[in-house]
Amino acid sequence: MDLYYTREDEEFRARVRAWLEANLPREKLETLEQQRAWHRAVYEAGFIGMGWPVEYGGRAARPMEQAIVGEEFARVNAPPTLNGLGIAIVGPTLIHHGTEAQKRRFLKPMLTADEIWCQLYSEPNAGSDLASLRTRAELVGDHFVINGQKVWTSGAHRADWGLMLARTDPDAPKHLGISCILVDMHAPGVEVRPLRQLSGSNEFSEVFFTDVRVPAEHLVGELNAGWQIAQTTLSYERGGNTLSRVSRQLALFHRLLQVASRLERDGRRAIDDPVVRQKLGQMYTEIEVLRYGSLRILSRLEKGIRPGPESSITKLYYSEMDKRHQELVLEILGPYGQLIEGAPSAYALQDGVAYGEPGSWAYGFAYSRAGTIYAGSSEIQKNILGERVLGLPKELRADRMQAHPATQAQAGGEGGA
Amino acid sequence: MDFEFSQDQMALRELARELLTERCTSAHVRAMMEDPAGYDPALYRQMGDMSLLGLAIPEQYGGSGLGMVEQAIVLEEMGRVAYPGPFVAGVVLAATGIQASGDEAAMARYLPCLATGELTMSFALLEDAIGWGPEVVAMRAVPAGDGFVLSGTKRFVPFGATADVILVVASTGDGPGDVSLFAVPRETPGLTVEPYGMFDLNAKTCALHFDAVRLPGDALIGDLNGGAAALDAVVQRGAVAACAEMLGCARKSLEMSVAYAKVRKQFGQPIGSFQAIKHKCAEMLEATENAHSATYYAAWALDAGAPDARLAVSVAKSFVNEAARKVCGEAIQVHGGIGFTWEYDLHLYFKRAKHLEPLWGDTAWHRERVLEEVLAGRVAGAAAGR
Repeated sequence: MDLYYTREDEEFRARVRAWLEANLPREKLETLEQQRAWHRAVYEAGFIGMGWPVEYGGRAARPMEQAIVGEEFARVNAPPTLNGLGIAIVGPTLIHHGTEAQKRRFLKPMLTADEIWCQLYSEPNAGSDLASLRTRAELVGDHFVINGQKVWTSGAHRADWGLMLARTDPDAPKHLGISCILVDMHAPGVEVRPLRQLSGSNEFSEVFFTDVRVPAEHLVGELNAGWQIAQTTLSYERGGNTLSRVSRQLALFHRLLQVASRLERDGRRAIDDPVVRQKLGQMYTEIEVLRYGSLRILSRLEKGIRPGPESSITKLYYSEMDKRHQELVLEILGPYGQLIEGAPSAYALQDGVAYGEPGSWAYGFAYSRAGTIYAGSSEIQKNILGERVLGLPKELRADRMQAHPATQAQAGGEGGA
Repeated sequence: MDFEFSQDQMALRELARELLTERCTSAHVRAMMEDPAGYDPALYRQMGDMSLLGLAIPEQYGGSGLGMVEQAIVLEEMGRVAYPGPFVAGVVLAATGIQASGDEAAMARYLPCLATGELTMSFALLEDAIGWGPEVVAMRAVPAGDGFVLSGTKRFVPFGATADVILVVASTGDGPGDVSLFAVPRETPGLTVEPYGMFDLNAKTCALHFDAVRLPGDALIGDLNGGAAALDAVVQRGAVAACAEMLGCARKSLEMSVAYAKVRKQFGQPIGSFQAIKHKCAEMLEATENAHSATYYAAWALDAGAPDARLAVSVAKSFVNEAARKVCGEAIQVHGGIGFTWEYDLHLYFKRAKHLEPLWGDTAWHRERVLEEVLAGRVAGAAAGR
């Protein structure tokens, strides 16, 4: 065991800090053009797609270097870069499963955010039970013809391309009739309707597909092998980025400390109230535990051990912790925690933040309710941990009994015995 | 960055597990509840022969010169079987106090026989008041001739009724931090033992009544009025030792729950197939794995003298207290009625974890310390240099 960062890591951290000091935008990035310029600068500095192989525009960086970049960017509250979903999930999916032509066509503009990606997974009737999705992709000649509806699609309103899971064999058992297809979001028949979220923002949409024609060469991997591919993409989503979450949580915490040392509650500064101090101590404790857990994952990644289903622990812990912490923030700040317009600088998370924009205490509070739902709800994470890590038996499920008559007979026999 | 155990550490874990699986069975633990001494001296000596007692004692004093990580590995194994004995009292608490005092004569005198197991020791801090700093010490050590006289009562002394020598914290000056350490043989005239019965019947503690106990000058360990720093070191290591033992209790409770949920059937199905039970087990796994990370990070930080060591210790103790409480308690719920019986072993871990929860700082005490460390900027990672 050696939990010090290596000298190499520390030097790298210093370089990242120095770059940020010189290049961090002073003004809020209002337009997509400004955001693209920032993205471009970060990309050219070598901090985007760092883990990708060099031949596809990446830097083949070590997991620790990627984690440090995430940690340092979050520490100074750097504006987000674009195409996070594409670079974190779609890119690795193409690198692992795509054809050479797909890689050459899509990876570079994905990294530079010249083409922005979304993930077309959930449907109105396929949420946690994603494999029951119904959007149909029918192979007609050399094209797929796509009909159906997706929902909760983050970033769909500005996406150029989408990574879609669609049903290509309606007669196969549900996990075995799904394919993974790249869809042009500007193609005729694609309609994006933004949905307003409870936070007030418009990050996700519902997307309708009516006779959308997609060339067959946009199939990723084998026909009907989409479910397996989606399973591997989910593990890209969990793991290496955890230090940036720690850092984001720490940035929030340190601002809360500042405010708590100014805000008067019940005749004394909040920071002098032992009950408030207990809450602050609890918050920092839980953030540190997330940091230790992240270091444990990183230490394994550095040895070449990919995070398996146990990475569900981090997702579950982080998202539930965030909910708890955002509640504590609002408890400590009282009505100031819910003030958006007219918030005094001394008590605000950031100045000049409108309703539905990141940067207010209330927005963080609202958004914490999404974290335990997206990328596999807490309940799904607990199923994964229970079944794939602890080896507990699967639940008897009505759909599985229909798909596999043998299982049904077995269950029936048991009940009759 | 390497969060994995080394080959040697894995081998140590195997060694401890084999020994304890064979010698510290449930029957043994239960027999020790009724035993006035509460432990098997032969097993303890065997641990000495196998170099388990001297892990953190410097090589020049007959130990292996390793540290808290290795002790935590062994203590986790002890937690898994609810080991009863004076391991923590002697080779964690007393040995830390002696080493941290800087008193080389005392180290040469006590550490080698602590490492072999020939000598058992304990550590006496608490009196009527509860607390983990020198301010709780009311007992005075009054200079008399070239020695001292101690009067008063120490409480909750672990395995104090059988310890050969007890390291006692007593007040020797006028300031609240003016405390000193004294090594007091249990057989000293004027010292009487009043055994306590605790909820965890394997956690033997006692009150020690000092009635004008006369000590020679060389009973003083370290400098006069220099005991506060040593006490602090004892609290830090005592807290991490408790975490490691609680972690073992939690891990064993989790394993028993999962095994039971796979075979116990209700409504014609294993109860582990129900999300009500599956999700509980998943949360227990989450708590246990996080407790592992927190415990070993803190143990490493102490050994490495990391700038965030105090923070890490308080993070670990406040977190593992809650995690072990949850896991050991939910294990009973997963089992249902059988989990509440005396015959079933779950209560051994449930009670050991509960016993350790208030010791060396409870959750609230350590949360306050976490905040103090953060406000003082003694942190690590990207938070450093904020």
